[in-house]
Amino acid sequence: MMQIAEQVLAASVVLATPILLAAIGGLVNRQGGIVNIALEAKMLTGAFVAVVVSSATGSWGVAVLAAAIVSAAIGYLFSLTITRARANMIIAGLGLNVLVAGFVGFIMNVGFDASGTLRMPHVELLPKLLPGSVAALPLVGEALSDLDPLTVFAWLSVAALPFLLANTRLGLRLRAAGNAPHVARAVGLREKSLQDFGTAFAGFYSGLAGAHLALASIGLFNEGLTAGRGFIALAAFYFARNRPVGTALVCLFFGFLDATQIRLQTVGLPPQLIGTLPYAMVILGLCLTAWNLKRKAQA
Amino acid sequence: MAEATTEPGSGRPSLVPALERMAADILRFALPVLFAFFVGAVVLAFIGENPLDTYALMLSEGFGSSRRVAATLSAATPLLFTAVATAICFRSGVFNVGVDGAFVLGGLAAAAAGALLPVALGWSIAPLAMVAAMAVAGVWLYVPGLLLARLDVDEVVSTLMLNFIALGLSGFLVNTLLLSETSGNNTTDTIHAVAELSRLMPPSTLHSGFLIGLACVAAYWVWARWTPAGYEAKLVGLNQRFARAVGIAIPASIVLVMAISGIVAGLGGASHALGQVHKFSDGFSAGYGFTGMAVALLARNSAFGIVFGAVLFGALASAGTTIQLFSDVPLDIVNVIEGTVMIFAVMELGRLSLRRGRAS
Repeated sequence: MMQIAEQVLAASVVLATPILLAAIGGLVNRQGGIVNIALEAKMLTGAFVAVVVSSATGSWGVAVLAAAIVSAAIGYLFSLTITRARANMIIAGLGLNVLVAGFVGFIMNVGFDASGTLRMPHVELLPKLLPGSVAALPLVGEALSDLDPLTVFAWLSVAALPFLLANTRLGLRLRAAGNAPHVARAVGLREKSLQDFGTAFAGFYSGLAGAHLALASIGLFNEGLTAGRGFIALAAFYFARNRPVGTALVCLFFGFLDATQIRLQTVGLPPQLIGTLPYAMVILGLCLTAWNLKRKAQA
Repeated sequence: MAEATTEPGSGRPSLVPALERMAADILRFALPVLFAFFVGAVVLAFIGENPLDTYALMLSEGFGSSRRVAATLSAATPLLFTAVATAICFRSGVFNVGVDGAFVLGGLAAAAAGALLPVALGWSIAPLAMVAAMAVAGVWLYVPGLLLARLDVDEVVSTLMLNFIALGLSGFLVNTLLLSETSGNNTTDTIHAVAELSRLMPPSTLHSGFLIGLACVAAYWVWARWTPAGYEAKLVGLNQRFARAVGIAIPASIVLVMAISGIVAGLGGASHALGQVHKFSDGFSAGYGFTGMAVALLARNSAFGIVFGAVLFGALASAGTTIQLFSDVPLDIVNVIEGTVMIFAVMELGRLSLRRGRAS
């Protein structure tokens, strides 16, 4: 029993990481006033770039950084279509998802002569941070021994984010650009540039998320690798109403669902339905919030 | 004061502004498409393919012979439905992105009815299956419509999430209750032969669902242009405050367009299940809901534009699969073009998002 709990905890933490990284990016982006539907596209890019660069350089660090930078650049360009060319952010985001999926498939096909799955030689995976001996610790041992740099980075970000958003100049300005763009402009802030920064930030973190998906254990790229995780990340920060710590806990729960899907199947809970739980939770959460608001307005 | 906008003495609307408007509409349709083809050309040139050769090949594979035209129209069929379903909502300013899920569930309902209804019902199975599809999909989108109208629950998020729930739900059903005993995993039984929609140009898969799709577009045109409900829905999209001031029940209008959108999407799913694939299996919708959205955006919700756009994307899809066979150009180029069209189509639009200052 203990052993199962240990395994589930470890798997939950690992599976939560990519969702959490993308959700961090998305929530900062949304605080800055942009709902980023294209997290999925940037995760896919990140995963692809990470595998290719890791294979070419043999360095996970370079691969992760390259994934983040390329995704941030895509995020920035995407942001320009919204802030400068006034594209509708939802449609542009859905369009980017289609475009990137096509583009990555195209490059895979033409550049690497692969379709669907890309296997590269000498892909260096993310290292484990702690020595193997921590696995002997009760309950958390396995989770600790699995700990990789991106998981640690994600949780450090969660810890730092409330402070950064509430107490730094950039954080406050970003939120001003999101909550009151007219006011932000009136006091001399360049609200569009702030929003562009937010979207590039979301791209950066989504790129890390993709890198984690590809390099945490499997070391290859697949067109279906992200499997809607960009949207699950969206669900997470919507459900937690943009609060960093709450979002992290929701992500952990989604990771737990992912980790237990197969086990729950054996007690008769179908995995397809468990997979829909994050999405159902968001709708329910939105309804409860809206219902509360309405009740307060009437009282 | 109708005279204000007409030529003196003519009593009819002036032709010149009408022509100008038409030219502007055509330009707004053509520009994103041209731009997307330009982006595609850059990508093709980058890999050393001559873009003009590739596009010429696509053109002949899309429209070169009656067989190819039939393949194009066949690929355009689901898009007619999903584009109309999207346009109905977009012109009311309701940002419904859940057409894909409704299409899937409609297809599942129709396939299940087509296989499970007693074969003795004969020709009436197909219409019954369509009604089942419309009912399921209509209710499916009625719910987020109601949530939007009564509680102001953001329909973008709710309908987006409902797509994934529809996928999970249908995936669950085709692996349990509706699982075929004969053909393995992830699929329902094949529908009764009598329930199949007739093929229009055998051996092509073009089926009478295409005609139903055209009828849907025509009905949409009539509804949008000539009925009070369609006009009210448009006013809600243009200016909610004005609409409320002139006495339009906005919640009722929102719920109505969402339910109709679901019904049309469900009928599309039924057409695809009964006419094209004859059963429901995982991966039933190849993103038809989203391509339909691209079509509706390009068409700026006009009925004629929808037909053009659906044929355009149908040609891209059908030509894309064959050029992959005849050249080194992968099918993915179609997605590159489609995604670019979506982004460029909204770069000028923008106004849909202004409705509720959703930026916060």
